[in-house]
Parts: sequence; C-alpha cells; structure tokens
Amino acid sequence: MRRIILPLFLGIFFITLQTTLFTPFSIQRIRPDIVLILTLYLGFSYPMISGGILAFFLGYLMDLFSGNPFGLYTFSRVFIFCVIRFFKDRFYLEGFLSQFLFAFSFALVEGFLILILLNTLTPNPPGQLFPLLFTVLLPQSFFTGLITPALFSLFSRRLFPLFNRHGAR
Amino acid sequence: MSLRVKQRKGVDFFDALLIECCSPFLKASTFVINTIQGVFQNYVFLVHLQEENTLLKQRIGELQKEIGELRELALAKERIQNLLQFREKISPSMIAAEVIGQDPSSWFKSVTINKGEKDGVRKGMAVISPEGVIGQILKTGPYHSIVLLITDYNSAVDSIVQRTRAKTIVEGKGENRCQLKYLLRAEEVIVGDIVVTAGLSGNFPKGLMVGEIRKVEKAGQGIFQYAELVPSVDLTKLEEVLIIKESSLPLQEEKAKNVKKAIGIQKRK
Repeated sequence: MRRIILPLFLGIFFITLQTTLFTPFSIQRIRPDIVLILTLYLGFSYPMISGGILAFFLGYLMDLFSGNPFGLYTFSRVFIFCVIRFFKDRFYLEGFLSQFLFAFSFALVEGFLILILLNTLTPNPPGQLFPLLFTVLLPQSFFTGLITPALFSLFSRRLFPLFNRHGAR
Repeated sequence: MSLRVKQRKGVDFFDALLIECCSPFLKASTFVINTIQGVFQNYVFLVHLQEENTLLKQRIGELQKEIGELRELALAKERIQNLLQFREKISPSMIAAEVIGQDPSSWFKSVTINKGEKDGVRKGMAVISPEGVIGQILKTGPYHSIVLLITDYNSAVDSIVQRTRAKTIVEGKGENRCQLKYLLRAEEVIVGDIVVTAGLSGNFPKGLMVGEIRKVEKAGQGIFQYAELVPSVDLTKLEEVLIIKESSLPLQEEKAKNVKKAIGIQKRK
C-alpha cells in the first residue's frame, strides 16, 4: 500500500507545485511538466497494475485541475506508462543526454497526442492551437527534458528506495 | 647649562653625522610601527563597522519587509473595496472568491478558487471581476471550484459589439486571446471596438465587458469575418474574483413566499 500511497502523494505535491509555483506568466512557456517525469519514472520502476493505477490517477488529477472535459491526460499518461512498460528493456537511460532525449521526446509525443485527440473529439476542432506546438510545446518539452536527469536521480537514490522499504519485506 | 653647551661645541659635526645616520632607521621604524598600528586600529574599527553594517542591513531588511507587507495590505484593501463596490452596483447576490491555483498544463486555461458548493457555487455560474468577464464554473467541490477561463478553447460567451450591436460568440484561443465567431462580414467592426456580454445565455448579465478587438480580417470568402479580441481582464494576474449566483428568480420566489406568509398571518389575526 505504501508503494502506491506515497508516490501518489508525491504526484499531488508535484501538481501543487505545477499549479502554484510554476505558474507566473514569465515562466509559463518554459515550465517543466514534473508530473510527466514522475509518470516516466513509474514506467521503469513499477509493475503494470500498481504503476498503471498511479499513472491513471496522475493523469486524472491533471485533467481535473486543467479543466479538460475529455480526460485527455488520463488517457495520455496511461498510454505513455504502458509504452514505457512494454519497451523498457530497449531504452538506454544512463547519463544526462539519454535521459534528456527520452523525456524530451515523450513530452513532444504527448503534446502531439493531445492535439490529435482534441481535433478528433471536439465538434469544432481548435485549429488555432497548432501554433502552440512551436511557441509552447517545444520550449516546455526542452525544459522538461533538462530537469529529468536531476529528478530521476532524486527518485532512484532518495525517494523510491524510501517508498519501497516496506514493500520489499 | 650654557657652560656645558659651550664645552660640547667641538663634537657638533659628529653628532650631526650620527643623527643623519640614525634618522632613516628611526623614520623607517616609525613608519612600520605606525603602519602596523594603523592597520590594526583600522581592522578593529572595520570589525565594529562590519557588525554595525550587518545590524543596519538587518534593520533595513526588516523595514523593507514591513513596508512590503503594508503595501500588499493596502493593495488588497483597494482591490476588495473595488470588488465590494462593484458587487453592490451590479448584483448583491455574488460570492467573492480567491484564486488559489492555475492550470497545470499549457493547452487548457483554468483556475482553482477557494469557494465551492458549501458556499453556494454551482456549475455554470458566471465568474467576473470589476474589469470584466473571467469565465464560468466548470467543476465544483464542497469547498473549491475550477473556473474555465474565457481564453480556453472550450469556452464560448454570447456577446455583442458595443458600438455596432453586432451579435457574435467569443471563443477562447489560448495565450490570453479570444476570437469572435459568426461575426457577419457585413458588420463594420474596427480595431478598438469594445465587446460586451449579450445576456442571452442566462449565466452572464447583459453589458459586462468582455474585451477589446485587436485584429479584424475580411480576407477570403464566406459570410463571416475574422476578428481577434484581448480580454479586458488580465487573466494571468488573477487574484480575487466574483461569482454571480443563479438568476434572481429563486430570490423573487422566496420574496413572494414571504409576502404570502405575511398576508396569511395578517388574515389569521
């Protein structure tokens, strides 16, 4: 239980940071998606069921606070978790560059996925969102990738060993 | 004394020589001592000065913090006064709320407020500020709610152009911009025109400012023209908002019930 509850609280804490500390307009274009980084890490370190449930809740929280009626993040976060889970042995994640590229590419994939889903699901497709790919998505994905190595290191060395301490017994 | 001076008259040259020989050493020694003494004195003095400086800096910091807090209080008081005046002017059935968070993603535009169902907030209620329209309640919890801003692509508000009375729908465009939909090409709309709520949907009262037109394009074909609008409220700096409670109909019904009760009591008497 501790293995699920504590990462969930960590996710809630990250969403709190993302909705309060990272919201000033000056840094809105570059604010990293730290909840996505947590989901990416879960893909490597958690089993299918418990990790999937966590990814679902994290996506659901994102949808809840962003005012998104379609549950796009709920879908995209579970989708990303499953992709990483299935191909986790094929990813090489030692070193800064590989971790940066990994997070950068998944942030871009999620952005595209959300845009495609929005255009498919809405009766009046919001074509005006496409310019945001360059003005918002690219810089944001870049900065998400940039802080990923630091967060991955924090997760693997400090936080997740703490979460798993009792679960291992 | 004069005798003795007279007696040593022959050694003047020798004395002078000694004096001249020794004085550079004395001079050097005095210089070194003075320098060391001076450095030491200055150092001790500087130590005290540094302590004093630290204390003064601390005091300045405390005073600046105090000034900042007082300024913040004054600004908050001013904002709340404006809100209250606006509330009294427009409708007394309004709920004041504070913005406690913004959307975590870049695709959607919403804010979280500290009032929920327990305070009378319901889904679909209009959220405004003295400067104009902000959005509407999208989701409610017991003590908190999510507001969908007018800049979100899911948002649509029935509006009219104030000068020409042309009907249109203001749709969100993200990035603090909206666009006017279904604005007929025949309508003469210019940059700088003010757009206000039409009051047709029932959520927003008529005549609330939505924003100002910043771009008009009549290029291409079709019966509609393209126009872009900048909201009158700076949605990136929201702190306090007002929620308009549902239409005054329930209140009137309550009043009617009270009148009936009063009549019934009078008749019994």
